Amino acid sequence: MSKPEKPFFVGYLPVQQALRRWLLVVCALFVVGLTGIGMVMGTAQDDPGPGAFRFDYGRQTVSGVVELTPYPLVRVTVGNDRIKPGTTLMLVGQGKSNVDARAVPLEGQLAKVSGIVLQRGELNMLQLRGGANGLAAEEGEAPPQDSIPLGRWKLAGEICDGKCLAGAMRPGRGLAHKACANLCLIGGVPPVFVSSQPVDGSEFFLVTGPDGTALPKSAYDAIGQFVSIEGEVERRGDMLVLSIDPDSVEVLD
Amino acid sequence: MNAAELILMCAQIWGVVGFVVALAFLSVGIDRIDEDARGAYFFRPLLIPGILVIWPLVLWRWYKYESGTDAWPARYAPPRKSHFAVGLILPAGIAVIIVAGLAVRQTWPSDFAPVQIEKPMVDTQ
Repeated sequence: MSKPEKPFFVGYLPVQQALRRWLLVVCALFVVGLTGIGMVMGTAQDDPGPGAFRFDYGRQTVSGVVELTPYPLVRVTVGNDRIKPGTTLMLVGQGKSNVDARAVPLEGQLAKVSGIVLQRGELNMLQLRGGANGLAAEEGEAPPQDSIPLGRWKLAGEICDGKCLAGAMRPGRGLAHKACANLCLIGGVPPVFVSSQPVDGSEFFLVTGPDGTALPKSAYDAIGQFVSIEGEVERRGDMLVLSIDPDSVEVLD
Repeated sequence: MNAAELILMCAQIWGVVGFVVALAFLSVGIDRIDEDARGAYFFRPLLIPGILVIWPLVLWRWYKYESGTDAWPARYAPPRKSHFAVGLILPAGIAVIIVAGLAVRQTWPSDFAPVQIEKPMVDTQ
């Protein structure tokens, strides 16, 4: 006695009658299901924000005073149409690299910087060109730069890596970006804290450890998560700097 | 050392060991276990990225061929037997991961207003 033949699907042959209803149901569920999942996941995503590489500006070259927080900054003294004097630029290298080796010898000196701007609201960063083309000492005496202490604050928000947040990645923050942010910070990219609400008109803070040290490695585990944090805030040009107390970092519910 | 640095260091160690295995396998091992590869060299660098990732499997298969204990039909039987179960577990696992991710998601603390704990020590006026 022979067994009844089991229908078998072959893509390039006409569909067998016994399989037609089953295939129609599967196809309908597939289209509706994937559309639904796509819509749910899409609507669950946060707005990546307005940060971006400003390639439309072209290469920007300005002069200013190099400061170390210890993360390198340039306080712009001679700007251009895009970058006005008084702007504070965080400096970063290509990829997930820093420019400390070039910036440290120029601390407190006048320098010319050149590169591509990353911009997110009032947060400005410059990805430098290589070598002396990106950062070089300039003739002249560096004008003194003020630093205005704003006291000790308790804030809530997220520690991010400054480059991705400023526009190198979209999204450049959040839990899904945690691994990338950690790799950036291990590479020496300046960390930035995004506050739930602004302080002195700004929601972005360059983050350092206490007493002019780099962000403590104990804080890396809390990157990409929403935390409360305490520290001293100071204003350097149009940028706020937050020197955190590492023991105060608490992950929120 | 924090978690991120530990993960990065493990990945680097894995890659370095994989590179050593790739050099050994592509220069010595592949000629010993695959007669079709003898005298062919230009394709070998293309295998390096894969070997970096799955070098323990490469070592295991190399050992099985060298020792003559490889039973090639048996290699295909277990995956075929588990296809149906894996076909169910995989999409279910993806769904569980997505739901778990959404469940543990934090809420942005937009209601938290910054609090000044201490006034600045230096008078800026």
